[in-house]
Amino acid sequence: MSEAFLTIQSLQSGYGDVQVLWDISVAVEHGGITCIVGSNGAGKTTLLRTISGLLKPRAGSIKLAGEEIGGLAPDAILTRGIAHVPEGRRLFKGLSVHDNLLLGAYLRRDTPEIESDLNFVYDLFPILKERRRQDATTLSGGEQQMCAIGRGLLSRPKLLMIDELSLGLAPRLVEKLGDALIEINKTGLTILLVEQDVMTAFDIARHAFVIETGRVSMAGTTADLGQNARIREAYMGI
Amino acid sequence: MDLLQILVNGIVLGALYACIAVGFSLVWGVLNVINMLHGSFIILGGYLTFFAWFHLGVDPILALPAVALLLYALGYALQYLFINKVVTSPVLTTLTLTFGLDMILYNLMTVYFTATPRRVTLDMGSADILGVVMPMDRVLGMGLAFFLTGLLYLVMRGSTIGRAIVAVRMDRQAAALMGIRVNNIYAITFGIGALMAGAAGAVFAMVFPVTTNLTGTFLGKAFVICVIGGLGSVPGALVGGIALGVIESFAGFLIGPQHAITLGFVLMLVLLVVKPTGLIGVKGYE
Repeated sequence: MSEAFLTIQSLQSGYGDVQVLWDISVAVEHGGITCIVGSNGAGKTTLLRTISGLLKPRAGSIKLAGEEIGGLAPDAILTRGIAHVPEGRRLFKGLSVHDNLLLGAYLRRDTPEIESDLNFVYDLFPILKERRRQDATTLSGGEQQMCAIGRGLLSRPKLLMIDELSLGLAPRLVEKLGDALIEINKTGLTILLVEQDVMTAFDIARHAFVIETGRVSMAGTTADLGQNARIREAYMGI
Repeated sequence: MDLLQILVNGIVLGALYACIAVGFSLVWGVLNVINMLHGSFIILGGYLTFFAWFHLGVDPILALPAVALLLYALGYALQYLFINKVVTSPVLTTLTLTFGLDMILYNLMTVYFTATPRRVTLDMGSADILGVVMPMDRVLGMGLAFFLTGLLYLVMRGSTIGRAIVAVRMDRQAAALMGIRVNNIYAITFGIGALMAGAAGAVFAMVFPVTTNLTGTFLGKAFVICVIGGLGSVPGALVGGIALGVIESFAGFLIGPQHAITLGFVLMLVLLVVKPTGLIGVKGYE
């Protein structure tokens, strides 16, 4: 793997008395698409929530481009360039698509640049432009995911983390969103994708980490892992 | 008395009511805090405006923005230092806390300012249009009340801070992921609630005498208006306020002013049974 942009070492985290992550070490390649896969309850979402500052790590380190960011507040982590598209989209009800997108740029003060980023998102997902005045939570599932990704992009991140891209979406839509991610990645944005659907994740990403009960059990390129008999049996049903 | 006159009286009163309720509704809707301090904030705003006018000769319209900012600072500090510590607790906890804070503020005002009714007298004369007689200070009060309520509406709909407040109201974790510092937004929201209360108090002092004995009445009105209009929106508070003002005005004429206040609460009970979301349902905070 070329140089790592985000490096996580021996990370432990959890909620209250419940420890979820026991020993996570992950390296996210600079400029690439990396995925984290694992079954329900393995700790994928907890990992993203710890990276984005919603949860404080109990031990271990999280480094972005060499700088330790573990334990910082969410706004400080966003300022350093990590955006988190949460599981289930979590769009703001009562606000239009446009206002939801603008909230992604909440910390930015460079108005003309925000405008050009808005146009980038509207070009990427033309349906959002069409529905820009509509309450974001009235969109279809796929459109909501587009809006959530667009909202993440509007912070102009260096690393975009997406939790469960495919959740509740038809395969054709997932493919379309995957293509959009590859397109975005080509502009130089590093992407960390968390997925339960291993086939989808391996189609999009180059590197993968498999998480089981709060520990990394396997890691490698998606091409190699895709040939691994255990993964094929456990996650792909082949 | 002429029906048109009663209607106009009701609308003037209703505009003031809307201004009283809108901050209470904002705090309740966004923070899920029933702010027992709201009545005292209104009276504090009224007293400060009166003192600025009476002792320093400051025009009440010039005093209003200063009083409003002062109340904003007080509200921000109270939320940041105290209420934020328990803001995610059940509503009874925050209600008890604001009740306690209100006891302190109410008693301090009574001790240092006394409960003497005070009023700014502007002597602006009155207007007579189509047989409706209206003192000009009341017309001014109504105009200011509509202006302040409209201003809040615009801020909530069109500004970054307004969007952030709605975002926090809808999903505080997702809001944190946008880089919004949730505790700061809570304090700003409570500050705006106090600001609107202070401004409403300033307007009230130009039209009616204010005294600390009225804090409970104002709090009760804010409560009734939120239930009538529907919680969590500026239009809701506006509709609820004007509805209550007009109803009280007609009730005062038909069954006597002593029963007008009771009628407001009866109406609230009826609405709670028939249409619990109020006349205007809730969407975002707008």
